[in-house]
Amino acid sequence: MAHAATAARPPERGLDVYTQKVGMWVFLCSEVMFFAGLIGSYVVLRFGASSSWAEPNEVLNVTVTAINTFILICSSVTMVKAFAAAEAGDQKGIKTYLLATTALGALFLGVQVYEYYELIFHQSWAGSHGFTPQAGLYGATFFTMTGFHGFHVLLGVICLGWATIRAYQGHWGADNTHGLEVLGLYWHFVDLVWIILFTIVYLI
Amino acid sequence: MATIVAEAPGQATGHAEHEQSFLRKYIFSSDHKIIAIQFLFLTLFFLAVGGLLAMMMRYQIAWPDQPIPGGGILPESMVASGYILPEFYNALVTMHGSIMVFLAIMPMLVGVYANYLIPLQLGTHDMAFPRLNMYSFWLMVPAGIITLASFWVIGGAAGAGWTLYAPLSARPDLTGVELGQVMWLVALIFIGLSSILGSVNYITTTINMRAPGMTWFRMPLTIWALFITAILALLAMPVLSAAGIMLLFDQTLGTSFFLPEGGGQPLLWQHLFWFFGHPEVYILILPAMGFVSEILATGSRKPVFGYKAMVWAIVAIAFLGFIVWGHHMFMSGMNPTLGLSFTVSTLLIAVPSAIKTFNWMGTMWRGNLKLHTPMLFAISFVALFAIGGLSGVFMAATPVDIYIHDTYFIVAHLHYVLFGGSLFALFGAIYYWFPKMFGRMMSEKWGKVHFWTTFVLYNLVFFPMHGLGMVGMMRRIYDSTGYAHLEGIQDTNQLITVAAFGLYLTGFIFAFNFFWSIFKGKKASRNPWDATTLEWQTPSPPKHGNWDEVPVVYHGPHEYSHPDVLDKDWLAQNERPDVVSPAAGSH
Amino acid sequence: MSEAGEHTASVASSDHEHEAPKYMLIWLYLFILTVAEVGVALLDVLPKWVIVVSLLAMAVWKAVLVAMYYMHLKFEPSRLRLVAVAPLPAVAIMIIVIMMEYVL
Repeated sequence: MAHAATAARPPERGLDVYTQKVGMWVFLCSEVMFFAGLIGSYVVLRFGASSSWAEPNEVLNVTVTAINTFILICSSVTMVKAFAAAEAGDQKGIKTYLLATTALGALFLGVQVYEYYELIFHQSWAGSHGFTPQAGLYGATFFTMTGFHGFHVLLGVICLGWATIRAYQGHWGADNTHGLEVLGLYWHFVDLVWIILFTIVYLI
Repeated sequence: MATIVAEAPGQATGHAEHEQSFLRKYIFSSDHKIIAIQFLFLTLFFLAVGGLLAMMMRYQIAWPDQPIPGGGILPESMVASGYILPEFYNALVTMHGSIMVFLAIMPMLVGVYANYLIPLQLGTHDMAFPRLNMYSFWLMVPAGIITLASFWVIGGAAGAGWTLYAPLSARPDLTGVELGQVMWLVALIFIGLSSILGSVNYITTTINMRAPGMTWFRMPLTIWALFITAILALLAMPVLSAAGIMLLFDQTLGTSFFLPEGGGQPLLWQHLFWFFGHPEVYILILPAMGFVSEILATGSRKPVFGYKAMVWAIVAIAFLGFIVWGHHMFMSGMNPTLGLSFTVSTLLIAVPSAIKTFNWMGTMWRGNLKLHTPMLFAISFVALFAIGGLSGVFMAATPVDIYIHDTYFIVAHLHYVLFGGSLFALFGAIYYWFPKMFGRMMSEKWGKVHFWTTFVLYNLVFFPMHGLGMVGMMRRIYDSTGYAHLEGIQDTNQLITVAAFGLYLTGFIFAFNFFWSIFKGKKASRNPWDATTLEWQTPSPPKHGNWDEVPVVYHGPHEYSHPDVLDKDWLAQNERPDVVSPAAGSH
Repeated sequence: MSEAGEHTASVASSDHEHEAPKYMLIWLYLFILTVAEVGVALLDVLPKWVIVVSLLAMAVWKAVLVAMYYMHLKFEPSRLRLVAVAPLPAVAIMIIVIMMEYVL
């Protein structure tokens, strides 16, 4: 059986994008569906519910969360700047911006934990003390959606922390940016979901 | 996230001779072929478990007033003085379906064959993310353990149906099952994650790692089917995860997403579950269709009839599969206008399936048929799937479905497509790719015995169920002898049960052949079927890394009986006709 | 993938060189939109449906900005953009059809 000579031809044109980036985008598609399941359920339940759905501003602290939203957006900026620094080979920039991103992400989480604490222990709802996951559909959907988003933020912060440690070991540079870019994609996605969540849950 | 350097195809692999420990090579392996074989052992085991549960169900249906032989070994909470308890029967029904779908058929179709075939048929060294692939497999192990353990906890295994309809599934006071239900949902989360991570691998590898010359429309139909299946899984499983988490919270945290007394919506569960559930059943059939196309072409020594139409049919089935889910809900009380639109879309989806059926027949037409075991299973797939699809057309029409919903007519339909369809195709695939996986042939004689006994007994079990459904035998009932309208069906039920016991025994013929052949089967050549796709152009089994240098692909995947090739009736994808048969004109 | 990878990298770095200032501009847009959103919601002077539509529009606008610029989609091959938007029709179908239970 004749074996064709293996010419040194390039592989088939895929997406013209390196494999790890393709993989992360494909993974993010599944995350879109996951959050769509949670957020879609919230929309349907609220839309079909009787009038007993409280105004978000009566229960939730919109101002604090608006600031928290802004914190997360800032962390996206520092993330792209970290990546840009890596591409330019600016080691100091990589360390600074990765550290900033990790810190801002952790700050976001901290504010959310504080918010949960305030809601569960100090916020009254429908006559009873404490706004918890058991506080009707509102509480159930609120804590599930923001809780799972927060879980994704936590995973992101852990990875960012690891990436920052690697930065201090000089791991990233102009010839090694892919890991940072892919991590950045995940982080921006988490920010993007929050932009949608914040609007739908806190403002509408 | 460690930097995983993607190896460019075309370069010599760096997987040189570093000696790996036994643990690293066979247990915690990142080699897609080993992972596939691990999936195969796991899923064959759960196939046997799922079948055993069905045997117990069948005994109860046939002889509801008699103790089950050997029932004494089971605890009193399941089998009281030898009699299967109604609660245990509910668990049997639920777990038979759940285990078969999630721990047997789906992972066998995808976890085994997507893993095994995608890198080999595309001509690359391994998956895009080999370590992630390993995690995908190992996530299934706790899922399996938790599932089996759930039978032995207080309250027993989940008992609200594989569809987990709320509020029943969320109310332990109604089912008597508390921990078991939670355990199954936890297992589902592991399974979902495994499936999603696997899909990331399959999709990325197919997009980005094809060998030179392997354009999209030169990929084998098996790859097309597995690729589209992975997209379905990627988009559908997360919705199940979201819904499952909400159900879990209803059970454990006191929320009321689906509980009416708390303001929740039971119909929301059904919509979310079936939004996942319908793409899921296409996940369960598309890879099987891919295998069948491949085996039929090889066994007919002809290209697949209408290759491009077959590709577009797969795409159409997948796309339409996202807008038909309501046909599982005609009797749920959902908005009737939705019922109309779902009827239309469901009838539409019969069209691409029919195109595929006719194209399979066209493939075999006037072919030089080699009726070996894989071919027998593939041919019967076409017939049995057609029967299953035809019964589906009945159910698609809402007025008919009002009558046959939740009867044995549905049970007949689903088993014709899942067993007569998917499992028959899987048997064919196992026999077909066994030589490549293990370097040995399965016994052809015992393969044929397995095929014929399975085919006859299978039809004896499931065909009569169409009739049972038409006279109104309900699904999931523990004892049908008390109903006036069901007088006279007990004989049929007993016949079915006896045939089912026989069917289960044929599994032992297969199992013996399978395990014996791994060690003692006739040594297989590189290409025992004279097949054209790339996996047959490597040693059996292929080495770690598959290729020293990746092949170059020159033409489509099923070039059998090529007019320019004179001395043999097949042309491998990496062979050029003018090189093979120098007398041939340029092609 | 080395050839394609190098090519993408060289194109990307030249993209990024004149692009770095744009990140801060996008950040400014995001800040303004966030303030506008909170303003529209808290001031509550417009009819409810106007509030809902404008809030959703602003949220989507922010999301698109993040996706196009921070996630670099604007500069990626169009096939990758196709992958990124692929789930959206499925999401739309799911939410719209389930909503119809309560609307029709």
